[in-house]
Amino acid sequence: MEYQTTIGIEVHCELKTNTKMFSSAKNGYGTTANSYVNIIDLGYPGALPIINKGAIELALRAALVLNCEINKKMHFDRKNYFYPDLPKGYQITQARTPIGIHGYVEIDTPNGKKKIGIHDIHIEEDTAKSIHTAESSLLDFNRAGVPLIEIVTEPDMNTKEEAMAYVEKLRELLLYANISDCKIEEGSMRCDVNVSISKTEKLGTRAEIKNIGSISNIGLAIQKEVERQQEIYENGGTIQEETRRFDEKKGKTVLMRVKETGNDYRYFPEPDIPYVVLTEEEIESVKRMIPILPNVRRDFYKAHGMSDINSDKLIQNRPLSDYLLKAKENLDYVIASNLLLGDISAYLNKEHKEIEETMLTIEKFESLVDKLASKEITSKIEKEILVDLLEKPMSVEEALKEHHLTLVNDTKVLEEIVTNIIKQNQESVQDYKNGKDRALKYLMGQIMKETKGTANPVLVNELLIHLLNEE
Amino acid sequence: MEKLSKEEVLHVARLARISISDENTLEKYQYQLKELLDNIDKIKEVKGYDEELMFSPVDHQASLQEDVPGEMLSFQEVKKNTPHMKGNFVEVPVMINE
Repeated sequence: MEYQTTIGIEVHCELKTNTKMFSSAKNGYGTTANSYVNIIDLGYPGALPIINKGAIELALRAALVLNCEINKKMHFDRKNYFYPDLPKGYQITQARTPIGIHGYVEIDTPNGKKKIGIHDIHIEEDTAKSIHTAESSLLDFNRAGVPLIEIVTEPDMNTKEEAMAYVEKLRELLLYANISDCKIEEGSMRCDVNVSISKTEKLGTRAEIKNIGSISNIGLAIQKEVERQQEIYENGGTIQEETRRFDEKKGKTVLMRVKETGNDYRYFPEPDIPYVVLTEEEIESVKRMIPILPNVRRDFYKAHGMSDINSDKLIQNRPLSDYLLKAKENLDYVIASNLLLGDISAYLNKEHKEIEETMLTIEKFESLVDKLASKEITSKIEKEILVDLLEKPMSVEEALKEHHLTLVNDTKVLEEIVTNIIKQNQESVQDYKNGKDRALKYLMGQIMKETKGTANPVLVNELLIHLLNEE
Repeated sequence: MEKLSKEEVLHVARLARISISDENTLEKYQYQLKELLDNIDKIKEVKGYDEELMFSPVDHQASLQEDVPGEMLSFQEVKKNTPHMKGNFVEVPVMINE
């Protein structure tokens, strides 16, 4: 029998608040070390924590986005450990009444959708950031007290692909709901992965791999850890419950320390903070703040015929996806997405602009897409007027007029042009009659050249075939 | 008189980063800590102790603070309580248990 891999993931995310979890010091990175601190963050004797309302709202939003049941009456607990990055000697966290429980995140797997259970999501404070040198460790307390949520899954993942898909999905959700920056490389999102393998129903002893620095490394770390555990079992050994880290250079996981047991943290209720009570109204008002989430957008795009590639690209480009949300339902979303991701993105990238900074109102955009969809204009014409539409307050009709680009829909005018082209290209006419399809394309091209792309291609096609058959 | 085992006392001492080298002191702590724990057990006999946490004799909820920046400490103030600084960083002995 093959080994079955079991994976659970703990993710820490910094919340995008203005101030810290239990103090009104600023929550901000990249500033001078130890400048965003006050007496609470440094654990001065007698300093008392006060809960940040904004952090509770963001954590609640996260719990709702992850489909959790909400603990309406919750308290905080002290997790005691003695370490320089934690001057109080304990971290305030939630052990017994996490804000959210029993949630899930849905991921896509080769076998269809799979729900990854969320065991709980709880609120806690971050510790100081430490930099280790050979002689000493250096601490920056700007990070001490920054609000965090920790999201703990059930051991529901069985492959590294599922683990990566979960983190990817989680990141997308937290980003879209404006809960966290989720920058793994910069540490505002940190992932710990628990891995075990077993040949029986009973789960094997797990090892925890701490603080993996990127989503691709999550996959790599799991793969290496599974290989390590298999080798130990195959050689008759046993796995110790331990904490490891992924060494990118060595390309393997290495031992950090033999894990302390939960009891050593001597959790007990934080006596300085009374119960926090969330009312039904508060929960409802936070629910209303949640923007339309990626999976809903994806389903809408799919239902309107958009390709998976375009759909993913749009989801990754939040401003464009938000812009498209404003469009009418009966738009041609295939053309709309091609236009947004193609010519419009090229312009925005070149000019370093966001779509909302341009003059292309959603109404103008709809009109442009409609005209392309009904073949009233060609994409060549669209390209000629697009910059004007983006930079000037003119309508599509006005832009067409200004560029003298009204599409030729007049059958009489077109018939004359087509007849002329046929006369001038008798060789191609012969080829066409001999069954060479390419000849038709060539003739079409000649007509478009003659009309500078302004001829209605559907009409031209009909006319051309009709006149060729009369020849 | 009952007492804790030496290992239990040393374990608690390790968590608090206290070293106990003197045998007599260690034995004193074995008795004292046991007495302390027994007293805590007495508190647990109070009726309803485990039913709900009681933070305060008066029933009140936590009041929350708006997410608006307030007063912070100046760097001079931070330095006052910090024996060692390196630039703007607080310097401590190498943290090994990482």
